[in-house]
Amino acid sequence: MKLDRRTGAVCLLMSLAAATAVAGPREQAKRMHDRLAGVPPTESVLANMAADIAAGNALAAAETAMQNRAFYDVTLKNFATPWTNRDQTVFAPLNDYSATVIGMVRDDVPFNTALSADLVYVSNAAGLPAYSAVNNDHYAQAESRGVDLKATLVSSQQSALLGIPANATAGLMTTRASSEAFFINGTNRAMFRFTLMNHLCRDLEQLQDPQLPPDRIRQDVSRSPGGDSRVYMNNCIGCHTGLEPMTQAFAYYDFDETQQRLVYTAGVPNAKYFVNADNFKPGYITPDDHWDNYWRKGHNRLLGWGWGTTATTGAGTGAKTLGEELANSEAFASCQVQKVFKAVCFRVPQDSADRAKVASIAQVFRGNGYRMKTVFAETAAYCKGQ
Amino acid sequence: MSIVRLTTHIRAATALAVLATFAACSGGGAPTEVNPVTTPPPVADYTGPAPANADVQAFRINLWENIKASNRCGGCHNAGGQTPNFARNDHVNLAYQAAIALVDLAQPDQSRLVTKVAGGHNCWLASAAACGDTMTVWIRNWAGSVAGGGKTIQLQEPPIKDVGASKTFPESSSLYGSTIWPLVRGQGNCLRCHSPASATPQSPYFAASDVNAAYAAARAKINLDAPGLSRLVVRLREESHNCWTASCANDANTMEAAVRAFANGVPVTPVDPTLQLSKAITLYDGTVAAGGNRFETAQIALYEFKTGMGTTVYDTSGVEPAANLTMSGSIEWVGGWGLNVKTGGKAQGTTSGSKKLADMVKASGEYSIEAWVAPGNVVQEDAYIVSYSGGTMANNATLSQMAYQYQAMTRSSDTDANGMPALLTRAADEDAQASLQHVVLTYDPVNGQRIYVNGQYTGDTDGNGGSLSDWDDSFALVLGNDPSGQRQWTGTLRLVAVHNRALTLPQIQQNFTAGVGERYFMLFNVSQLLNLPKSYVMFESSQYDSYSYLFTKPTFINLDSGVVPNGIALKGLRIGLNGQEARVGQAYIPLDVTVGGSNYVAGSGQLLSNTGTVIALEKGPESDLFFLTFEQLGTATRAYPEEPMPTPPVLADSENPELGLRTFDEINQTMSNITGVPITTTAVASTYDLVKQALPSVESIDAFGSSQQMGIAQLAISYCDAMVEDTALRNAFFGGAPDVNSQTGRDAMITSIVGKAVGTNLTSQPTDGEVRAELNALVTRLAGTCGGSCNATRTATIAKASCAAAIGSGAMLLQ
Repeated sequence: MKLDRRTGAVCLLMSLAAATAVAGPREQAKRMHDRLAGVPPTESVLANMAADIAAGNALAAAETAMQNRAFYDVTLKNFATPWTNRDQTVFAPLNDYSATVIGMVRDDVPFNTALSADLVYVSNAAGLPAYSAVNNDHYAQAESRGVDLKATLVSSQQSALLGIPANATAGLMTTRASSEAFFINGTNRAMFRFTLMNHLCRDLEQLQDPQLPPDRIRQDVSRSPGGDSRVYMNNCIGCHTGLEPMTQAFAYYDFDETQQRLVYTAGVPNAKYFVNADNFKPGYITPDDHWDNYWRKGHNRLLGWGWGTTATTGAGTGAKTLGEELANSEAFASCQVQKVFKAVCFRVPQDSADRAKVASIAQVFRGNGYRMKTVFAETAAYCKGQ
Repeated sequence: MSIVRLTTHIRAATALAVLATFAACSGGGAPTEVNPVTTPPPVADYTGPAPANADVQAFRINLWENIKASNRCGGCHNAGGQTPNFARNDHVNLAYQAAIALVDLAQPDQSRLVTKVAGGHNCWLASAAACGDTMTVWIRNWAGSVAGGGKTIQLQEPPIKDVGASKTFPESSSLYGSTIWPLVRGQGNCLRCHSPASATPQSPYFAASDVNAAYAAARAKINLDAPGLSRLVVRLREESHNCWTASCANDANTMEAAVRAFANGVPVTPVDPTLQLSKAITLYDGTVAAGGNRFETAQIALYEFKTGMGTTVYDTSGVEPAANLTMSGSIEWVGGWGLNVKTGGKAQGTTSGSKKLADMVKASGEYSIEAWVAPGNVVQEDAYIVSYSGGTMANNATLSQMAYQYQAMTRSSDTDANGMPALLTRAADEDAQASLQHVVLTYDPVNGQRIYVNGQYTGDTDGNGGSLSDWDDSFALVLGNDPSGQRQWTGTLRLVAVHNRALTLPQIQQNFTAGVGERYFMLFNVSQLLNLPKSYVMFESSQYDSYSYLFTKPTFINLDSGVVPNGIALKGLRIGLNGQEARVGQAYIPLDVTVGGSNYVAGSGQLLSNTGTVIALEKGPESDLFFLTFEQLGTATRAYPEEPMPTPPVLADSENPELGLRTFDEINQTMSNITGVPITTTAVASTYDLVKQALPSVESIDAFGSSQQMGIAQLAISYCDAMVEDTALRNAFFGGAPDVNSQTGRDAMITSIVGKAVGTNLTSQPTDGEVRAELNALVTRLAGTCGGSCNATRTATIAKASCAAAIGSGAMLLQ
């Protein structure tokens, strides 16, 4: 069947009409529901939410909207999916990374454990292939079958499913999807960079600090690219000073393309840490997975390390402790709020009021046990319209 | 003067003034004992007595026959001429006795013969340095053929120099605010990007609205001693980086004037008196550590690019005739020995000068081309690095780059005149990198061509080789291109050598380990900090390229081998030059070690770190005065407090639409919710798969396009079709079969659609009346074709269309 040509005129007219918004409690409730769940509310839910809003309890209305399964199947899935692949595409299939984000939000798992927990969520829906360390079939089929993620996700231990030691698990970073995307080939620097972008909302370019010690920069980084060391001293070094001592945490990880799985070699740095060693022979030779956060000095202190905690100290061994370091920073908390803000308000914080709100929600987030639903609720209430 | 002698392996101190002995440079091995292959020209006119012993014979064939000619030393220092008569051609034994006093076989480059010609004394070449190098080779060959021990280096205490005063950046940003800041903040200037408030913010934010933040970011880009070398200026002048007028030169001049005004306003300040300083030295105050460990026995041409001026690249192999090259086009010298070949540049020899290559290689039937190269990029193809050829179609031997691969072409009896088929390294190995690499092409009749990169055989083979007897001796040796200029290679050459033997893997590794360029042992005197005489922190240093120095192997050493330091805390080492600590490259800040005990070996010291670093060149190796500072050395300490927390950048405000679009999954789920059709229904699922990526992927309303509306319409029709065709779903939606033949029926149908797809009592949605009127008009038009008596099929079609018009509309899409 083909669309009648005149239908287009209807669409256009309605678009124009809809753009003139005046927001009372019902309109605010609809917007909150639309943006949290991605779908319009039923009349009864709308009335319920509108009543809460009218009573000055917009947060309760938001909690109601988040009970819709579409909040999990649609909003959260698309919220997390771009983090799980290098292209940052939202069109990638559901996977253990995105499913774990969904599960953590549903169960109010403190999100500052997202980069360190021995945790993965799987679906217990009937008929699905079991979780596999060597393929994504379990999740791909869950998605194609329209499985109710809110109802069927159950938590499990990553170490058991992936066959790695519990202390080698690092939450979302060591999920299979993340490993496939960021531990594959290369030098494992991608894992750090993408984790920064996805969870601290900063790319390396913004964190350049050429004045930090370059002693941990590996041999494969040319100090004189094309015979011009200015390129190194003015550009490369700025990122690598901080990047390298932290990427060392991933020294024992690799994604084996043949087996299609994460491989962890305790005590033995992967060969990818020694590629192109002749580019700069006096460069750093990785002996183990000890990492240091050089950004605790210099201007990247602004990221707020050890935010409200003394549990993280800026050094450790392995990805798990690095994940704790990253996720217990003010930048991490703020980033989660910023991402939610973008998803719910459809904009980056645009003025001082928005930025102040983001900062205050980050405080609430931390004070509320890093509960992500609180961030969604607070943000939806802020952007519900006037 | 105290002297420390170094050899390959650390030995016990000797009883002489020589205190200790270890390697001249890392990995140095004993000199090879392979006999030279290159036979010097026969001396037909010599009729004097035969050499008295093997050493005289070595002197004769390696040195004497090269210097005795009348256009060399023999012109004056002959039998009846000026003393010493080391070049007399009547009596080789007497010449030997005269020469032995003029050479230092342990350190050939320190020989009197070398220092004289290198100092300009009757050099037979245009470059005194090239004469010195050539003489060094001849003496080294003499020494190498008789000596049994390793080549040694003697560490010499440098002159005592104090760290001088210099300009340092003022604390206050006011001077910056009145000189450079107004320029970079100018409308359309650096402000466009180098400000956090920019639409495309790029660090460093030296054009930030906060002058303090801007000043902090700008400091690393300003050279107080040489304003013209400031990064702020160089970016414009040499790199044409976003100049704000049509003339980068003018912009650079404007910027330089501003930086100069800033620099002129900065008073010369004494060195920070709180620093714990070593004594200062220049690079050239260090003890030379380079050379001597290369395998050079079969070397027939050698280019080390030491001259640094003029347009002649000297062949300093010592093998006559010298195949010197002439630079042409865009090609320039690189500091620390090297040649930078740019587009249009090459260095080419004459055919007569290059002829010795063909002669000597044809005689041996094998050869090697050895090069230290830093390719300018890894995209250039058919780029000839070293080529002995007559053009693009005729070639004796060529080493070239093909993107990430190295390529070799050797003309033999098994190839065509151009040396095809070529040997290529495996693409997946990406052997060619845009960094300094040691590349060797070897050829012998058994193995054919082989390529070695950084001392490792690449594993690529082209099978057997053939005879080289067809080599054309009328070709020319060219670096960076071929003679026709059609095979441009760009990058930096640090050394090129041709051997008339296929070097073996150990020989290649020996040359790789020997490294390239001039290297020095820099001894930083820290005696005054420790109150312990002859205490030094030693670096192995070199000029890394035209813009930086390389510092490696920091070692604590006391030149008195009788002294073994104990329990000296050494923490937070920084490298300074010209009165200030370098701002970039301080790799030894984290250093925290204790010198002494079992870690310290008398005579060779204690290695403090395996890591090397590069430090920016400022004034050049002759002038840059280096020193070290310490957070702690022994009992001397200096605190380095953390700088105050910087102010977070203030981001620019923006305005964004309050409304957004539903995205693809949300649209799918919304249509499913409205119609009651599950998203897994085959018909809608297949349509969704088809249009999914045409639907909005982001909420931004600015990104909405007509193609997205088409995708939405298709999906809407698919859902409405599935709903209307399913009786149960249709009844649930419409409350029964829809009726379009009466107004009452139409109203009922429209009421169902509006209630489910648009919602009611929502001022943010289109008004009820508007929607109803539009849908009613649509139904009326569609029903008009059946004159008020539409059958069930037509009615269903109209119902689908009406449904699709609503759920595919802005009322659904906008949120």
